[in-house]
Amino acid sequence: MTLNSVVETDFPEEFVEEMEKSQDVLPKKIDANPENVEKGLAKLVLTLIELIRKLLEKQAMRRVEAGSLSEEEVERVGETLMKLENKMKELKQIFGLKDEELNLNLGPLGDLM
Amino acid sequence: MKLYTYGIIDCSDQITESIYGLEGSGVFNISFCDIGAVVSEFTRPAQNMTKSDILAHEDVIERLMEHFTVLPVRFHTVFDGRDGVFFLMQSYYKDFRDNLDRLRDKVEFGIKVIWPSDKIKEHIINTYKKSSKKVFVPSDSSNKRFMRDKFEKYNLEKEFQKKANKYINVMDMFFSKFATEKKLKKLKTEDLLLDAVYLVEKDKQGYFKKAFEHIKNPHTGLKSLFSGPWPPYNFVILPKKSDLLKDSNQEDLFGKVIQQRDLAGADKI
Repeated sequence: MTLNSVVETDFPEEFVEEMEKSQDVLPKKIDANPENVEKGLAKLVLTLIELIRKLLEKQAMRRVEAGSLSEEEVERVGETLMKLENKMKELKQIFGLKDEELNLNLGPLGDLM
Repeated sequence: MKLYTYGIIDCSDQITESIYGLEGSGVFNISFCDIGAVVSEFTRPAQNMTKSDILAHEDVIERLMEHFTVLPVRFHTVFDGRDGVFFLMQSYYKDFRDNLDRLRDKVEFGIKVIWPSDKIKEHIINTYKKSSKKVFVPSDSSNKRFMRDKFEKYNLEKEFQKKANKYINVMDMFFSKFATEKKLKKLKTEDLLLDAVYLVEKDKQGYFKKAFEHIKNPHTGLKSLFSGPWPPYNFVILPKKSDLLKDSNQEDLFGKVIQQRDLAGADKI
């Protein structure tokens, strides 16, 4: 069999490795059954919380950057974000979830985070 | 009788050339108006697909491309019989026709670039440390220290993204000149800086290949992969999946061949 197309690179192994890494690590369909339904739901809920947490964090950073937060506000936002992050760590541990699992594949739009 | 589908072509006549596809079956054309779906008989259970099947699929499409404009169908698209294929053609006829017109005499090229993300980050950190204003002071509370660390990470990430954009813009400048359409994905992984596909007119292929030579310079620290010419897998535009695809084992008809195709290809080098 002769293919006319060429794949040209001096680093084939590295590209194979990167492409494998970049392929979907998330299942396209939810495998829901009585044994894993709790974890599946926790994963979905925690993913959404993580998204909101990251958005909050980003917004806070933008405000720090713009200098629009007072000392007191920095203190309060810092405390809130730190508590939120710690709580997330705790919940992830309880449900045996890793950081990379907290994501959703949005098809052509790519991954949620 | 199951039918394995390779592509939609702008021809309703029977294929005169002997082309053999998966399982060594001869391919034939199921026509609808002035277009056709190229298929071959298929007996195996759908899940038993191998790397050589991917290459056989690709080979059939490339043979077809020598004579026709082809909308390559996603690897592993199997219909239960002629009726399913015919129904698909009937339902999507106008979309197929539009795509065939748009993609006539065009091919797809893939460009992937790996950059040394560790070194880039190291450089960014060093530059940041030298130049950053101290937003928070060491005697700050733990809450403020937390914010300081987050702010530092935020700035480093922003700089990392900015650098990636800059690199991609420069590379894209070389390729865009010779392409009619493009799809670029930035940082699919930290190291995979760019994963791009370009749609190129057949008579501009030579120029496009030369453009690749420009970014191959080993002194840039970039590692690149060039592939093609391929059938335009990534440039077929169809309305979203509808009920008519229930007959096939696919979620969508086009796309998603690329990873398997490049993996198979890269492995052959």
